[in-house]
Amino acid sequence: MVSVSNKKMIGSKWIKNSDSDIFTAYLLLAPFLILWLIWFFYPFIQSFLISFQHFDFSQMDQSKFVGLENYTKLLVNNPEFYEAIGHTVIIVLVAVPLQTVFALALAMALNQDISGKGIFRTVYIIPNITSGIAAATVFMVLFRKDMIFTKAFALLGFPNDTWTAKPDIALLFVIILYVWQQVGFYMIIYLAGLQTISRELYEAARVDGANWFQQFKSITVPSLKPVTFLIVSVGTIQAFQIFDQIAAISRYGKLGSPADSTTTLITYFFTHGIRYPDEMGLGCASVIIFLFIVLGITLVQKKLLEEKE
Amino acid sequence: MSKTVKNSFLYTALTAFAIVFALPLFYALYTSLKDLKDVEKMVVGIDRLNFDSYIRLITHYQNAGGGIAVWYLNTIIMTGIIVAGCCIISSMAGFSLAKLNFPGKKIIFIIVLATMMIPYHMILIPVYIMMSKLGWLNTFAALTVPYLYQCLYIFLMKQFISTIPNELLEAARMDGMTKIGAFFRIILPLTKPALATTIIISFTGTWNSYLIPTTFVNKEKMYTLVQGLNAAKDQFFDRVNVTMAGVILTTIPVIIVFLIFQKYYIEGVASTGIKG
Repeated sequence: MVSVSNKKMIGSKWIKNSDSDIFTAYLLLAPFLILWLIWFFYPFIQSFLISFQHFDFSQMDQSKFVGLENYTKLLVNNPEFYEAIGHTVIIVLVAVPLQTVFALALAMALNQDISGKGIFRTVYIIPNITSGIAAATVFMVLFRKDMIFTKAFALLGFPNDTWTAKPDIALLFVIILYVWQQVGFYMIIYLAGLQTISRELYEAARVDGANWFQQFKSITVPSLKPVTFLIVSVGTIQAFQIFDQIAAISRYGKLGSPADSTTTLITYFFTHGIRYPDEMGLGCASVIIFLFIVLGITLVQKKLLEEKE
Repeated sequence: MSKTVKNSFLYTALTAFAIVFALPLFYALYTSLKDLKDVEKMVVGIDRLNFDSYIRLITHYQNAGGGIAVWYLNTIIMTGIIVAGCCIISSMAGFSLAKLNFPGKKIIFIIVLATMMIPYHMILIPVYIMMSKLGWLNTFAALTVPYLYQCLYIFLMKQFISTIPNELLEAARMDGMTKIGAFFRIILPLTKPALATTIIISFTGTWNSYLIPTTFVNKEKMYTLVQGLNAAKDQFFDRVNVTMAGVILTTIPVIIVFLIFQKYYIEGVASTGIKG
C-alpha cells in the first residue's frame, strides 16, 4: 500500500531534478541508521549468540559455547519456566478478550449522537496514560481488605481479603488492573474504525427492518474485522509483555510474588537475565523463545483471519 | 425504543464506566490530602484536608541523595532529551523515506517496519552488557541514547509527509532552495500535527517507563519518578496518604500534557490503528 503511493511521487519533477539525493537522503537518515545499527542490530545478533553460551556477566571472557543447553534447560524439566508460561497464557486469554469487548462497547456507545462525548472519552483514556507503577500503587490499596473494590468483587463471591497477598487471586488482580489501563487505548482505535463505516449502510438496514442486534452482527462486526484483528494481535503481543504492574506488587521481594503466583515469561527473563547476571545465556534463550511464541501467534491469527475471508 | 429512553440508558452506562475509570485517581488525590487518621473515613471536612503528606514525602528522601525534586529533574531531563531526539531524528528519516529517491530505500523501510514488531526485551541483556562496558550504567546516557529514535514515529512521519503535495517542494526548488533547506523551511512547519503526535506519545511513554530505568539505574540519586514512587510505595506502605501523594506527583504532569495534546494523541493512535 505504501510503495504504490511512493511510485507516483517518484515520477514527479521534485524527485527527478536531483543529483545529490543519495547524499542528502543518507545524511538525513544517518542518525537513525547509526543508532539502529549500534543499539538495535548489534545487540539483536548478540542476543542470539549469547543464548548459545554459558555467559557469566562477572567473567565474560570465560563464556563458552554450549550449543542448545540453555534451551533444553528451559524446556525440559523446568516447572518454574512452564509455570511462568502458564501465567502468561492466562493473562493473555483473559485480558485480551475482556479489553477487546469493553473497548468495542465503549467505542460504540461514544459513536452515538450524544453530547458530552469528549469528556467521557478523556476519562476513559486517562488510565492508559498513567504509569503502570502509579496505577498499581492505587489499586493495591483499593483491593485491600474492606476497601471499595474488594467489597465490590466480594458481591461476586470473591473473598474480602487483600488481593495482592493472596496467591490464588493475585494474578486476577494484575489482569483487572491491566485491562483497566488498556481499554481506553483500544477504544480509540475502534472509534476510528467505526467512523469509517458509512451511515447509509445502517439506514438501509433499518429500512429493511433489521433490529439493533442484526445491524451489529451483519454491519458493525464484519466492517470492523481488520480493526479487530489489529486490536487482538497488538493486544496479545502487549499482554505478553506485561511487567510494570507485576514489578509493582512484588514488594521488595522476588518478581512474581506472592509465592510466584504472578511470574510470567518476562519476569522469568528479567529475574534470570538481569537480576542473576551469571545466567545471561539462559535469559537470552528465554526471550528468544518468547519472540518465537509471539511471532507464531501473530502468524496463526493472520491465517485465521485470511481463512475466514 | 424511543430516543430519550435510549439516551438515558446510554448515559447511565457511560457514567457508570466513567466512575470506574476515574475513581482510582480521585481516590488517590483525595487520600493524599488527608491525615493518616482520616484515611479510612469516606467523608472528611474540607478544613481537615492539607498538604502534609506531600511535605512528608518531599522531605523524607532529601538526605538520601535522591528525593522527589531530584527524581523530578531526572525524569524531566530524560523525557526532554528523548522527545527532542525522537522529533528531530524521525522527521528527518521520515522525510527521506517519503520524498527522496535513493538506493536502499526499500530495505530501510522494511527495517523500520520489522523493528517495530520486535519486543524490546529481546535486546535488553546485550544492551545491558554494552552499557556496563561503556561505564554508562547509572547515567543519563543509558536512559536516553538508545531511545533517541523510535521506528513507530519514523513510520508516522513518513506517512504524514507523503501526503504533502510535491508542488510545494518543486516551487521551493525553483526558488533555488536545496533539499535540506526545503525540508527545514517547507516540510517541517507543515508536519506540526505529526510532531505533536510524536511529542505526546513519546512523552507519556518515556515519563511512565519503568523497565529501562530499573534495568540500567540502581542508585537513588539517578532514579526517575516512577522508580522513586515504586520505592516510596514500599517504604510508606502503611501510610496510604503519603503513597497517594507520590501517585499524584507522578501522574499530574502526564495528565496535563495529555489534556493539552489530547487531539494529537487520539489522531496518532487512531492512524496507527487504521493504517497499520
